[in-house]
Amino acid sequence: MTVISVKKEENQELMQSVFAARILIVDDMALMRQMIGMCLSRGGYENLLYADDGDEALRMVEEESPDIVVLDLNMPRVSGYEVCRTLRADVKHEALPILVQSASETPEERVEVFASGATDFVSKPINQPELLARVQMHLENRFLIHSLSDFRLRMQSELSMARDMQQDLLPEASSVEEIEAASQMKIESFYQASFELGGDLWGCWQVPGNRLGLFVLDISGHGVGAALNTFRVHATMARFLHVRADPAAFLTELNAALAPTFPLGQFATMFYAVLDYETGHLTYSGAGAPKPMVVSERGVRLLDSTGVPVGIIKKPDYFNLEDRLEPDESLFCYSDVLIEAPQKEGGMLGEDGLVEWVEQLSRSGDRHSLVSNLLKRFFETQPSSLPDDLTAIALHPDRG
Amino acid sequence: MEYRISNSGGNAKVVFNGDITFSENVSFRQLLKDISEQNFDACDFDLTGVNMVDSAGLGMFLIAREQAETDGWKLTVSGAQGHVASMLKLTKLSDLLEG
Repeated sequence: MTVISVKKEENQELMQSVFAARILIVDDMALMRQMIGMCLSRGGYENLLYADDGDEALRMVEEESPDIVVLDLNMPRVSGYEVCRTLRADVKHEALPILVQSASETPEERVEVFASGATDFVSKPINQPELLARVQMHLENRFLIHSLSDFRLRMQSELSMARDMQQDLLPEASSVEEIEAASQMKIESFYQASFELGGDLWGCWQVPGNRLGLFVLDISGHGVGAALNTFRVHATMARFLHVRADPAAFLTELNAALAPTFPLGQFATMFYAVLDYETGHLTYSGAGAPKPMVVSERGVRLLDSTGVPVGIIKKPDYFNLEDRLEPDESLFCYSDVLIEAPQKEGGMLGEDGLVEWVEQLSRSGDRHSLVSNLLKRFFETQPSSLPDDLTAIALHPDRG
Repeated sequence: MEYRISNSGGNAKVVFNGDITFSENVSFRQLLKDISEQNFDACDFDLTGVNMVDSAGLGMFLIAREQAETDGWKLTVSGAQGHVASMLKLTKLSDLLEG
């Protein structure tokens, strides 16, 4: 027997449900029905229903939806075994407790009773305290399981709502299109939340002077805590758009605002770059995000995104680095699940492995579909639902 | 993740094996509790046998560092290699933890 301890108030609520339960008593002998009914009603149960054969029992289960059935085995028209099998064949009733009572009790019979789907067994002549104890136990289990599965359903729907809200933090398609049109860049993006909640976020915006800003960030850990922190970071970022032309200053301001409020052990790894799309001049600053790649048919260059993640110490020393994105080069940023996810052959892909993949794909020509081709390859070896968020963003110059 | 604590004088060494990820959160906290209760002067986390650490794992090192400061023992991290070493370097946590 499973022992489930519940708090006192929950326990009272549970016992109210137990005594209000509908109990269907099935026996072809009127005397037995009466005796079981009396025993249960003395035990505090008021909602008693009666059937005198298996066929009537099945009809009443459909019509009255009892919470438990106390079932005789040997009945003239439809036997107790038959009732068990019919009920268990119907997904609606697969969890309905069936307490079988029978006079003959050989080991073979017990095996058959359970094989046909009964939940439990009491022997005749009926020992009244035992019957009461078993009925109560099965009803308690039933109501506890009900409340657990209700709770689970509610959590699932809350999590799915939270995932949708998190998705809404990402740039809208229309604003990405605007930036693409202004910059003559193609922005290829992929974001997939983990089956739990995760903490990835990316965004892009226009910066005065024919420039665009692009950031990717990953909050440590996953689950509700990480997800809530993405909202915190997203909201905080909006306060510092006035320094968005200067990546190191942007990270410094963001860190100063977040470090005092971030819980110990949580942080955001981040990369923020500003690209002058007229000249290809790239200014960027890193806070420990996976190293972005500059990709062309000639190969891959890694950008240095070394830096203390946002939210850990008061004054990390963020600095700007400069680079140049040639018209035949793409900038590729990604979250760590790409290199950390376990591989079929054991171990993980790692940065070197990913660079190799990206090089192979960019040599094969279609660089503008780098993200989708890369993910196609990635998901060949991964389950479609990942343990962590996956973000992959590429900026492809689209001039000429 | 598995770990073994050894003690010589007032100094402890925790030898880790396997991956240090989000799912080790609970056992890592238990480890910190064990270390705190034993009043060591210093503790070295030996990561030679660790293949992989994710961001939550790095977060746990930060929690350990804070705990060390509060309790007054010295935390060092040693032996990191491969992915673990690059993660510590990329996030500059090597400066915070190894320095």
